[in-house]
Amino acid sequence: MVSPRTWRNLRRELRGSALAKIGIVLVLAIILVAVFAPFLAPYDPYQQDLGNSQVPPLGFSTTENETRSEMVNGSIEVVEEEVTVNATLAHPLGTDALGRDMLSRTIYGARTSLLVGVFGTMLAVLIGVTVGLTAGYYGGRVDDGLMRMSDIMLAFPSLVLAIALIGLFGGVTIRIPDPFVVLGLAPEMPPNIVLPGTVVLVVALVNWVWFARVARGEALSLRNEEYVKAARALGASDGSIVARHILPNSITPILVLATIQVAAIILLESSLSYLGFSGANLSWGLDIAQGRDYLASAWWIASIPGVAIVFAVIGVNLVGDWLRDALDPGIEGEGGV
Amino acid sequence: MSFARFIIKRSLQGIFVVWGVVTVVFLLRFSTPGDPITFIAPLDASPELRQRIAEELGLNQPLYVQYFDYLTGLLTGDMGYSYISGTEAATRIFARVPATVELAVAATVVAIVISIPLGVISATRRHEPADYAATTFSLAGISTPNFWLGIMLVLVFAVQLNFLPTSRRPVGIVQAVEVLVLSGNYAGIVLWLQHITLPAITLGTYFTALVTRLTRSGMLDELGKSYVDAARAKGLPETLVRYKHALRNTLIPVITVLGLQLGTLIGGAVITEAVFAWPGLGTLVINSINTRDWPLIQGCLIVIGSSFVFVNIAVDALYAYVNPQVVYD
Repeated sequence: MVSPRTWRNLRRELRGSALAKIGIVLVLAIILVAVFAPFLAPYDPYQQDLGNSQVPPLGFSTTENETRSEMVNGSIEVVEEEVTVNATLAHPLGTDALGRDMLSRTIYGARTSLLVGVFGTMLAVLIGVTVGLTAGYYGGRVDDGLMRMSDIMLAFPSLVLAIALIGLFGGVTIRIPDPFVVLGLAPEMPPNIVLPGTVVLVVALVNWVWFARVARGEALSLRNEEYVKAARALGASDGSIVARHILPNSITPILVLATIQVAAIILLESSLSYLGFSGANLSWGLDIAQGRDYLASAWWIASIPGVAIVFAVIGVNLVGDWLRDALDPGIEGEGGV
Repeated sequence: MSFARFIIKRSLQGIFVVWGVVTVVFLLRFSTPGDPITFIAPLDASPELRQRIAEELGLNQPLYVQYFDYLTGLLTGDMGYSYISGTEAATRIFARVPATVELAVAATVVAIVISIPLGVISATRRHEPADYAATTFSLAGISTPNFWLGIMLVLVFAVQLNFLPTSRRPVGIVQAVEVLVLSGNYAGIVLWLQHITLPAITLGTYFTALVTRLTRSGMLDELGKSYVDAARAKGLPETLVRYKHALRNTLIPVITVLGLQLGTLIGGAVITEAVFAWPGLGTLVINSINTRDWPLIQGCLIVIGSSFVFVNIAVDALYAYVNPQVVYD
């Protein structure tokens, strides 16, 4: 499926592009952080310590006895801060309003984003490629029906549809035992990885259409190729023709689109979590929402998880650009919130 | 096919898609868990009371009757009544439209005003610091979640610098202009500008970044073509070559992508509204979902979906009109 020529193109493109290298480093870093979170995080990300709340990150301290007036809902309120809080090495990125360690939460947050990004994309590929190949291979009425259906899906802006679906179905989460904790390697860490199941389903439901369109285009262009006709003449079934001849030849554009969609889905997940719809209790988007209320006293709670999202998405986008430039499947990047 | 027939054909397809949207939105209510009556009735309501509420709202009718009633209602502009407040859903929804349109238009203006010059500068000064700055900005711009950007802008410009308000929309542009025209008082315009600046930048940044990228790569393509060499060879000033010839051809694909990204703009508006408590369709749809106020949810989704469909048709028409090479199919 991946020919030597493809590998050569990938390597050549990588050598010439500093951005592609940065992208790969960022993506690898995020993957490693997500996988080895129990060893990298200094604390249990859920563990509260109210005596140590709103500790600033290293290099900062919250100013003492500062009073200032602030507009709140049109009236002036006096905000007073009485204690000096200094940064501490124990919490390099500070703590949130409940005294939870920001570094640990940011590290564990990578798991949520990555799991939703990868599983959501895989499910979207599965649905989209099945629909698209069926529509493109059979053509005619099947094609018309499936494509009108995808038009209707496209009439809903993806975030709006996602909010509607998840808001109505509720945020169901799936608990997967953390292998490192089960094996006793990191006993003090949370025992389960919480996968926001509805979010995965919903992001796949709003994104499969892009894969269906690309797969359909490929199937349409391939179904009249000589080798497909030959296979049909030899009596191969439709299923085996699609699986053995059409699918392998459509892999490249689907792979490139999938990479770009991982970035879009990470952004979508963070938006859903920000709005409080995801059901997960550990996510970068959720932490940003919680930090929103503490902007005046603890700017880092909302700021740090956002930086993590930006790095993750830039990394995936750069890898996507690299694949697109190297493999040149002739599709435009689409995605984002 | 002529232009007129193309428009008619696309509009008919659009109506079909809108009918699909209405049907999907209608069915959504029956496929989601939770009986709406439990959200409307008091917790200790008797079965008789629940029955009466169901009858009053027509919820005891068979599905196809409810569907038919809903469709005929929609044709006369009736979207039912809010379960929570009892007000007309259509009135509530259309009262929110100006705020969202205002925000979307402001964001688009921000995006176009910044991105096209930036893309041109980037392309004409390739591999110079200005190009690297523009490329970095656009990469960051398409990778930043806009709700976070909005919060960071609030942190810097409202909380730290105390320079702009954090949220809300005290006045709409229409009222502000009315006051200006009638009494010559521009305070309303100033107030409007103060409140829309941060939301418009928040929503506009993704598009600014996207269009900068597109303009840059489009300009690079066009500047490498032979008609540009020909224009230069016959002695046209470089400014004319760049802006009259190359940029014009670059803008055609930019329009298409902007049309395709309209859904992203509307989705972005929803979350931007949530960050800034902006009283548009986005905050209305989120609140209605939280309270399971079905007539409002359905109405909002239908308004958003159908305006999206028809604006897309308008973009297609504009594109076909601007670009004589388009083949109508």
